[in-house]
Amino acid sequence: MAEPLLDINDLMCRRGGADGFTLAIDSLSVRRGEAVAVTGPSGCGKSTLLDVVGLVLRPLPQGRFCLAGHDVTALWSGGQDNELAKLRARTIGYVLQTGGLLPFLNVRDNIRLSRSLLGLPADRAGETRLIDTLAIGGLLDKKPAALSIGERQRVAIARALAHRPPLVLADEPTAALDPDHSVRVMQLLLALAAELGLGVVVVSHDWDLLTRFGLRRVEARPTGTLTRFAN
Amino acid sequence: MRLLPPAATSTVRLAVADFVHEWRVSACLVLALAAVLAPLLVLFGLKSGIVTTMRDRLLADPRNLEVMIVGSYRLEPSWFAALHSLPETGFLMPRTRSLAASLDLIGDNGRSLAGAEMVPSALGDPLLRTLAPPGGQDRILLSHSAAQQLGIRADASVTALVSRTLGGERQVRRLPLKVVGILPEAAFGRDAAFVSLDLLVATEDYRDGRDTPMAMAERPFSSARLFARSLDGVAILADRLRAQGMEVRTRADDIELVKAVDRTLGFIFAMVAGLAVGGYLLSLAASLWANVDRKRRELALMRLVGFPPLASLAFPAIQAGLIALSGATLSAGLAFGVAYVVNVSLAANLNREEFVCLLRAADLAIASGATLTLALIASTLGGYRAARIDPAESLRDI
Repeated sequence: MAEPLLDINDLMCRRGGADGFTLAIDSLSVRRGEAVAVTGPSGCGKSTLLDVVGLVLRPLPQGRFCLAGHDVTALWSGGQDNELAKLRARTIGYVLQTGGLLPFLNVRDNIRLSRSLLGLPADRAGETRLIDTLAIGGLLDKKPAALSIGERQRVAIARALAHRPPLVLADEPTAALDPDHSVRVMQLLLALAAELGLGVVVVSHDWDLLTRFGLRRVEARPTGTLTRFAN
Repeated sequence: MRLLPPAATSTVRLAVADFVHEWRVSACLVLALAAVLAPLLVLFGLKSGIVTTMRDRLLADPRNLEVMIVGSYRLEPSWFAALHSLPETGFLMPRTRSLAASLDLIGDNGRSLAGAEMVPSALGDPLLRTLAPPGGQDRILLSHSAAQQLGIRADASVTALVSRTLGGERQVRRLPLKVVGILPEAAFGRDAAFVSLDLLVATEDYRDGRDTPMAMAERPFSSARLFARSLDGVAILADRLRAQGMEVRTRADDIELVKAVDRTLGFIFAMVAGLAVGGYLLSLAASLWANVDRKRRELALMRLVGFPPLASLAFPAIQAGLIALSGATLSAGLAFGVAYVVNVSLAANLNREEFVCLLRAADLAIASGATLTLALIASTLGGYRAARIDPAESLRDI
């Protein structure tokens, strides 16, 4: 069996001092092409989990954290901020609840942001495929401020996937949308990720929506100031 | 081939795109810079224009460069050699006793001039300006007044009478001379013949009754004609000679006036510039700092997408650079316009080639460079704030 894309065991993260909040990831693994849903009540630490997986929040040095063959624990211990930024740029695509687009770039340049940051060659065919699937072809020259929220989320998905990151992190990607749009956007995200063979971690409180797509579920188990996550 | 890593070019592109996207804010910052910098450039232009014009007017009269030696001394060849080697020395010419340095002139037309002063001259004599020096014992130049009294023009022939009293007997030697040039009236006020040093020395030897001349390399002279290379050198040379116990005269007051004007205007300019630039830098730093605050989410998103920490620091710095360059360009355009208007409207008071307001390309380059440097320094405050933005912020607040 191939090594999983994301593999976390016995990792802890503490936020906010002595009476703060502790997150414990007992086990979390995602294979390439697999989509996983993280669910739980609001405020239980789902977003904190995503911060840790997304390499922006430093976990405690114990435990195992491997992402696309890189030992993330070691990078954090070594204080290698630039290496972490590079790993983030190459391997992770983010879809945020809102925003996720730079207001001063038009839609086309937003979609190309990660590829140009990585110095990757233009990928006309892949770009066209994304634009067609997400039906955002008419928006390419607009700035984000001129788009509806639904349009922005579809553009944000294109931006997150354009450089084919092996792992896509989506933080409540449909929370700001009405139910019809929610289904459509989630459907597009999961379909594109499956087609491109990308792993997905979706954080959502809307389990009803996620059940429709048959995702493997990782549930938060909050007890006091400690929340545990396990496969 | 890439000159910069893709992260750097992407950062520059984004900073420029944001600068253009927020063109209203950018325009305010650029205009605010021009509002400070353009008047400063005009003020500086006025200072250099006025000082340069005053200097040029002084330099237009070479007598302002002269260090006049008063009285008779015994000046050895070594003294001349030492003085000649100084960087401040522009023109140095030995001179004989003034009593011995005169002659009577008779023109072809019969008119005569008694007691014309003999002034030794050579190549580089500032008083001659574009005229060629005498270039031979039988050639002279005449001052304007001497030529008028003789009623002759250049290329005329004159006869010089040099007289001496030797053993109670009066003797006269007649020398046929060719007048090769006539100095303009402004160059020399008295009746004078500009002669070669050889002729002057020969005259002195004849008057002293020396029939075999002393070798030039050993001969002491009693005085000298000395001109400084520049206005600044005049005081230096004068002080040096005074320290040797010689009495000298210069037009130091006129030169000192120009220097005092230069210093005073420079001081006023420095004060005004210090206030204006200091105030502007604080406001620019505050604006960039506030800009970073407004753009926290975007900067956090850039970090989240994988831009390196340095990119956050560079973002406000690049925009500060754009503001500085646009502002400096606009200011230079405005200042050139104002300088043109000032010079045209005051042209009546000026000679040709003179300016009231003088903006040099080098001064503009220095001003632009200083603006850029200071703007970058002002951006560090915002950059420091930007660098501390946590990429997770873009995931949080809505």
